[in-house]
Amino acid sequence: MRRVSAVTIRKRLVFALLAGITIFMVIGLRLGYVQFALGDDLTDKAQDLWSRNIPFEPERGKIVDRNGVALAENKSAPTVYVVPRQIENPEEAAKKLASVLNITEKKAYLHLTKKSSIERIHPEGRKISFEKAEEVRRLGIKGVYIAEDSKRHYPFGKSLAHVLGFAGIDNQGLMGLEAFYDKELSGAKGSMRFFSDAKGKRMPQMPDGYAAPVDGLDLKLTIDSNIQTIVERELDIAEAKYEPDGAIAIAMNPNNGEILAMASRPSFNPEQFQKVSPEIYNRNLPIWSTYEPGSTFKIITLAAALEEKKVDLYKDHFHDSGAVEVGGARLRCWKKGGHGHQSFLEVVENSCNPGFVELGERLGKKKLFEYIRDFGFGQKTGIDLQGEGKGILFNMDRVGPVEQATTAFGQGVAVTPIQQAAAVSAAVNGGILYQPYVAKELIDPTTGEVVKRKAPVAKRRVISAETSEKIRFALESVVARGTGRNAFIEGYRVGGKTGTAQKAKDGRYLENNHIVSFIGVAPADNPQIVVYTAIDNPKGTIQFGGTVAAPIVGKIMEDSLQVLDVKPRKKQIEKETFWNDPQIVEVPNFKGMNKKDLSLQLYNFKLEVEGSGQNVIQQSPEAGTKVEVGSTIRLFMN
Amino acid sequence: MPVKKFAPDYFLLILISVLLTIGITMVYSASEIWAEYKFHDAFFFAKRQLLFAIVGFVAMLMIMNVEYWTWRRFSKTALIVCFVLLILVLIPGVGMVRNGSQSWIGAGAFSIQPSEFMKLAMIIFLAGYLSENQKHMIYFRKGLLPALGLAFTAFGLIMLQPDLGTGTVMIGTCLVMIFLSGARIFHFSLMGLAGIAGFVALVLSAPYRIKRITSFLDPWSDPLGSGFQIIQSLYAIGPGGLFGLGIGGSRQKYYYLPEPQTDFIFAILAEELGFIGGIFILLLFSLLFWRGIRIALNAPDLFGSFLAAGIISMLAIQVIINIGVVTGLMPVTGITLPFLSYGGSSLTLMLAAFGILLNISRYAKR
Repeated sequence: MRRVSAVTIRKRLVFALLAGITIFMVIGLRLGYVQFALGDDLTDKAQDLWSRNIPFEPERGKIVDRNGVALAENKSAPTVYVVPRQIENPEEAAKKLASVLNITEKKAYLHLTKKSSIERIHPEGRKISFEKAEEVRRLGIKGVYIAEDSKRHYPFGKSLAHVLGFAGIDNQGLMGLEAFYDKELSGAKGSMRFFSDAKGKRMPQMPDGYAAPVDGLDLKLTIDSNIQTIVERELDIAEAKYEPDGAIAIAMNPNNGEILAMASRPSFNPEQFQKVSPEIYNRNLPIWSTYEPGSTFKIITLAAALEEKKVDLYKDHFHDSGAVEVGGARLRCWKKGGHGHQSFLEVVENSCNPGFVELGERLGKKKLFEYIRDFGFGQKTGIDLQGEGKGILFNMDRVGPVEQATTAFGQGVAVTPIQQAAAVSAAVNGGILYQPYVAKELIDPTTGEVVKRKAPVAKRRVISAETSEKIRFALESVVARGTGRNAFIEGYRVGGKTGTAQKAKDGRYLENNHIVSFIGVAPADNPQIVVYTAIDNPKGTIQFGGTVAAPIVGKIMEDSLQVLDVKPRKKQIEKETFWNDPQIVEVPNFKGMNKKDLSLQLYNFKLEVEGSGQNVIQQSPEAGTKVEVGSTIRLFMN
Repeated sequence: MPVKKFAPDYFLLILISVLLTIGITMVYSASEIWAEYKFHDAFFFAKRQLLFAIVGFVAMLMIMNVEYWTWRRFSKTALIVCFVLLILVLIPGVGMVRNGSQSWIGAGAFSIQPSEFMKLAMIIFLAGYLSENQKHMIYFRKGLLPALGLAFTAFGLIMLQPDLGTGTVMIGTCLVMIFLSGARIFHFSLMGLAGIAGFVALVLSAPYRIKRITSFLDPWSDPLGSGFQIIQSLYAIGPGGLFGLGIGGSRQKYYYLPEPQTDFIFAILAEELGFIGGIFILLLFSLLFWRGIRIALNAPDLFGSFLAAGIISMLAIQVIINIGVVTGLMPVTGITLPFLSYGGSSLTLMLAAFGILLNISRYAKR
């Protein structure tokens, strides 16, 4: 029989002792592991648990035009904060607060009793007026605070709305540049940190922390607010005059791709974007809308033909009988009966369709489409705005003689306005295609230092400088003597091309519904500005680009060139005059004349004399300026 | 019966006094915020703990002078009473539910936890049984089975409340005692397997226990539910570092760690006194354990030996489980840390048990 001796019990007691001590040591190791190996991580997590962060919002960067004029800035707008734990009588407080903020008592009560350390009354209590804030302050409810907050303000209202876009209630960029450059404009949040117990009270003997917010960078645009204002004004006038379905305008510096102005109708006020349908603020028409360009596109065909030396504008001639037979289809010229016998320069001036069909044929399908693609059609320009369209080109396999012919005069392709502005810029600037852009610089708001500057992006050379010069001359000729006459400005050598495109719907062209457009360049010897305007379905007028769009571009150009400080030229292609054109005369020099001299002169002007002296010391306009007969000249006497 | 009586183990007495002093201090430090908030008296828990400590200490000194074999005579009766109470406590309306367990009986301040008393009664009875049947313990049916049957019946009743913590401590203590009595390792291995199977079954039978298991493995999987206490406990221990934040410097006691003066007091201690403080406490318990085993080794008879071993095992198991839980080594069971956690019955009962242990030390063989 086996017996358990006392020795066994002693052995096992000793074993238990050792086992117990070993386990105690394991626990000790675990304690050390938690305190040393996991310590930092646990401390971080615990500090997150203990700390309460009161956010400090950074100031959103301003958006300014190229001259520093604010286009989007911040307006201080107080916000109501509630600390539910500090509310003593929620029912009564809810009643008071509800009446001031125009919310239901129930909603106010819910906010006032919410289980959170800090509560905002969203959205009625956010970004309210000073008067409202003062009213809330005067209620004197314990636990209700007014905090400084800011709201986006657009000083120019509807102007440039689609480009600027807008920011939401949390100052987050939602549309346009506000969205595209949201990260740069936003900055970084700061915070005030304090440690609190689990019931929300401040814990004693714990250091508070403060991290300052980093304000967003200011965004400087290529836009010139003066030119923008001119463009907006002209679109307003056009809108009033023609009640169009829509209207757009782009002004661009052809030599680097800087957008000087961009506008569209219908527009909206970014501060009240909710008031219009999303379709209006979502679509920035100058870069989004895609349609058949019409004759403005002929510039591309012309450029290709000139570059490929397929035509000599003076020596080559073309007879337009009013229509041309291509692949069994009859393609008509816009002018009934045709333009007859013309040089190719006249073909361009007259915007003669059969003439351009001829140019297209001389180029051949491959070359024509090669140039179209090189000029940037069929792909996005890459402008720094959201929602750009890329247009539609024929699939090369499906281009037959008819498609080739219509493409040559701007039908059957669909392009965006910005593509046209960029392409024509390349055609006239010496042959370089630039990427259009609107944001020029990012500026540190405190130091004023430029953090990032965007350099113009030259994508490629599309034609030679000589070809470009020929195009400029041809375009000036169109304005001086052809279809673009209404864009003529004395002394500024405006070049341009009209466009009238039929709108297609469900695969058919609409009757009496055109997009009429004009693209202008000035001055033709050294282009400083390209302006494109398109008016969608103008009413009560002949729907023709030369009639509707050309004068708008002319006016935009006239004022913008002065803003750009471009001096009038001495030499230009003189405008061909018709019987009903106003007569243009040069202003003589009145300076130094006395009253007597003036009375002896028979002038074709209305003289407006200011001052009581005897001698003319100043005159406006200056001597040599070309004006219409009967214009007013102001004279200043000493 | 031994006749020669010596002085008690003064070292043990000193250890207990030191632990009690630290305990009262820590109960105050851990509970002051909560006590101030709930009772508008920062000393609410500390005062009571001091009172329990005095009562318990006096009781311990008195029991120290009662010959330990006296208890053997009452052990059978005590055990039966405890069994009756354990059954009564399960009857709805008789037993009171606190923290999800129906483990209290009585009224208001006079309510007791029968399971706490069962622990001690079981130790005394089992010590008697094992010393009588020591030579049978190598046999399964004759020696082992009755002891196990009794222990597991009590364990089952406690688990019905359910009180996983007390149940585990009790059954653990019983198993250690049976092991010490000389049961065969082979039997023990079988039992171990059965025990593991049983434990798994028990855990699987109640979903909240599964959550306790998973939450201890990854408390962050359910940070606001089952993992909450562990996370809050680790948030106290982690930042404590080597030297701690200083006495009174705890942050987790600011309502983050619920009832910090009870089961999780060690977390606050490690937060305020750091690794040094925590290790010091573990050292005190190790010394206590060593003295307890030494008393068992030197006890004049088998009964005294088993009784001392049972009492000191109960303490060790409770310490291991409590600190294991607090440091995230084990699932949350709900057990107090002897001498340190706030709680009247657990403290006085533990002190009473140590009174018996001290008495055994007086008859140590020299």
